[in-house]
Amino acid sequence: MKILIVDDFSTMRRIIKNLLRDLGFTNTVEADDGTTALPILQAGSIDFLVTDWNMPGMTGIELLRAVRADDKLKTIPVLMVTAEAKRDQIIAAAQAGVNGYVVKPFTAVALKEKIEKIFERIDAAK
Amino acid sequence: MSNELGSGLVEFESLVKDGAIELQKHIEVGDFGGAIKIIQELSEARHNSFYNEVGFLTRSLHDAIRDFQVDSMDLVSGEGEATTKITDASDRLNYVIETTSAAANKTMDMVDSSVPVASELQVRAKELRKDWGRLIQRDLTPQEFRNLYKRIDVFLAYADESATTLHSNLNTILLEQGYQDLTGQVIARVNDLIRDVEEKLVHLVAVAGRVDSISGIEHQEKESGHDDTRGHGPAINKQNNPEVLNSQDEVDDLLSSLGF
Repeated sequence: MKILIVDDFSTMRRIIKNLLRDLGFTNTVEADDGTTALPILQAGSIDFLVTDWNMPGMTGIELLRAVRADDKLKTIPVLMVTAEAKRDQIIAAAQAGVNGYVVKPFTAVALKEKIEKIFERIDAAK
Repeated sequence: MSNELGSGLVEFESLVKDGAIELQKHIEVGDFGGAIKIIQELSEARHNSFYNEVGFLTRSLHDAIRDFQVDSMDLVSGEGEATTKITDASDRLNYVIETTSAAANKTMDMVDSSVPVASELQVRAKELRKDWGRLIQRDLTPQEFRNLYKRIDVFLAYADESATTLHSNLNTILLEQGYQDLTGQVIARVNDLIRDVEEKLVHLVAVAGRVDSISGIEHQEKESGHDDTRGHGPAINKQNNPEVLNSQDEVDDLLSSLGF
């Protein structure tokens, strides 16, 4: 299981990386916005995408839409971890096909719960 | 300051009033040359009064920015350690980003180096407890007892050493929180500048409004909607905004109502 973490703040990437490691996911790669994330995704081998919304260059919602529009990438589960908490934004993310939405500041428990839920659904769909 | 600011315009208004009366008098007696002279004088007065106002405001704004730069240099030299000259608000805010980032990283470094120590302590204590339980049950052979005896000595030394490491790491984390004081001071100063500039801009807008109303210029209102795609950053005062959700639970509720 290889996870791509996309956030423009290195401290936030580190926090998420450490929490994922505690959950047993040790294989992670990082990108600082959608523009740098897309080539990594297109190179293959990414199984799960965790992304922020508000980033310079390409935002998280644009990245999500780009992933869903790409035949090779569209099935990758996407978890959004963001400070964006407007009702319309969450609806937009849901419509764009997000698999989970965690608002910052978040707890380790909340992150764990969402990730587990996403994998449960994927397993159930198999 | 507001008196000083408005005085030019008040003076101009009374000039216009007086001028109008004069103008009428000249027209009534058929002295059109005199009337045109008054119109010219009024026009000149109008230019002068507006230029004075704008000049005054520009100077105020310039002063505010210059004062701010002087303050920021005081702050840096006052702190002694900092070598870079923070000469404007943008640099100051970058300083905040760097300081908070450094503190967060240092704190995470300390957590990263503490977690394995705590885990190792736990693993060793668990192993010892197993054999200690057997000792209480008088279930140990003499050889095992001698072994346990030595292991306890090693464990106690390790526990002592680990506690020292953890203690020092926790202290480092505590000291790192000093960033809040430093960044708080910087942000408070930037805040003061923003308030100062806003105050002066409000005066500028007021003057501009009067210029518009006297000269009869109309502006089209621009619709400035913010695009959700670019993001808004963390919501401030979200309790007062019905469009912003307050917690993960509310987000979960919304998503489940959408069939998630």
